[in-house]
Amino acid sequence: MQLRISLAAATLLTSMAAQAEDYVSVQYLQYNESENRTSVSAPSIMLNKDFGTDYTLNVNLVADAVSGASETYYDAASGASAYSRGLNINADDVTYGNVEYEDTRVAGGATLITRFDNRDELTVGLNYSSESDFYSAEGSLEYMHWLTNSKNSSLSLGASYQSNEVLVKCNPDSTTSSCDAGSGASEAMTNDAINIQASYFQNINSESYAKVSLFYIGDSGYLTNPYSNVVRNYVEGGTADVVGENRPDARTAYGLSLKYANAITNNFSAHIGYRYYTDDWDIDSHTIDTDFYYEPSSNWLFKLGLRYYRQSEADFYSGEKNYFTNEEFASSDLRLSDFSAITYKSDVEYKISDDWSANLGLNYYDQSSGIDATYLITGVTYKF
Amino acid sequence: MRTVVTMSFCALFLFTGCVKDVKPWEKETLAKESMKESGTNPLAKKYEEHIYFSKEASRGGNGVAGGGCGCN
Repeated sequence: MQLRISLAAATLLTSMAAQAEDYVSVQYLQYNESENRTSVSAPSIMLNKDFGTDYTLNVNLVADAVSGASETYYDAASGASAYSRGLNINADDVTYGNVEYEDTRVAGGATLITRFDNRDELTVGLNYSSESDFYSAEGSLEYMHWLTNSKNSSLSLGASYQSNEVLVKCNPDSTTSSCDAGSGASEAMTNDAINIQASYFQNINSESYAKVSLFYIGDSGYLTNPYSNVVRNYVEGGTADVVGENRPDARTAYGLSLKYANAITNNFSAHIGYRYYTDDWDIDSHTIDTDFYYEPSSNWLFKLGLRYYRQSEADFYSGEKNYFTNEEFASSDLRLSDFSAITYKSDVEYKISDDWSANLGLNYYDQSSGIDATYLITGVTYKF
Repeated sequence: MRTVVTMSFCALFLFTGCVKDVKPWEKETLAKESMKESGTNPLAKKYEEHIYFSKEASRGGNGVAGGGCGCN
């Protein structure tokens, strides 16, 4: 009898958890970097719906409005623009500073999870993203296999293929293109990315679980940032060339991700993650990510988090204007430099009723390269 | 690559050395939203990953699906 009651309770809990998966969430991101650099306003919506116990559909849509400025080298005599480039310009006119830009992005994605008789899961995903100068389409597949009848451990294997098109304004210094720089036209360049990940998940006990993942990422094609310039052949008091950067047309990366979650008490839980990344551009990175949840009552949920990130620089990176001469690959894009970053995260969620909840998060991102940003995430979720 | 494999085996050894067979009726805590790997707010998680993707040179480890962006 006791066993029957326990099984009934377990079934009820499972049923409640399944019902809780149906929701619509509307969120809004406001991201602002200091010194009037990048600002992003991004509303988004996500729908998650179970169809019986065998299928779950998740659909999301986001629209970004991006404006502001980013730093690069340019020829000040031609104005502050990423396209203020030229050969043999006056070295005194070489300037490193903000160039303005704005863009809008619409992106959407959908995943369908199918569960089989043994409760293994197959997830099929599609993603699309469109900007004025960038288009991306992605397809993904992931299979999760339970290793035990008690469903305490599983193996997952997933892969995705992404195809991207980048519209690049014809470049006066291009030696590889027949594109007419004087026409102001753009040419379409392409790149693609393959991402493969294998994961092992384990419930350690009734309060904690862990997951270890190995991943591979292969990028190939046009991987250069068309808005980032470098200075070549700089002669103090003489001339210099300000030209577009040039990156290798392939990148192979491997990494390891470890995640651990523990409900320390009934209303306090901790999530700790670590990621190691390495690629053949000589970039290694370490990321430690933590989130702590506190539920003082059934209506309130508080989250505090801290993330630390450190990366080494790419082997073709230099921020100096007198470094590059005739190297094939050259970039002064800060994102390829050696830096560390800390994110301070906070969030509060309030359950208004059984169906409705609201959330407000305030976060601060501080990068040692000089970039820092405050971002706010707020929204409402309706469960049905 | 050798470092990645070595670290993976160490992690697997640690995880599997201390596990308990958790029964279905003992999984209430594990099923709580605050214990989900994606956190309590999947859209907020997507925003965060997008910010890191656009500001940092490395990525990966959070699943294979994510979508592209011209921001990096």
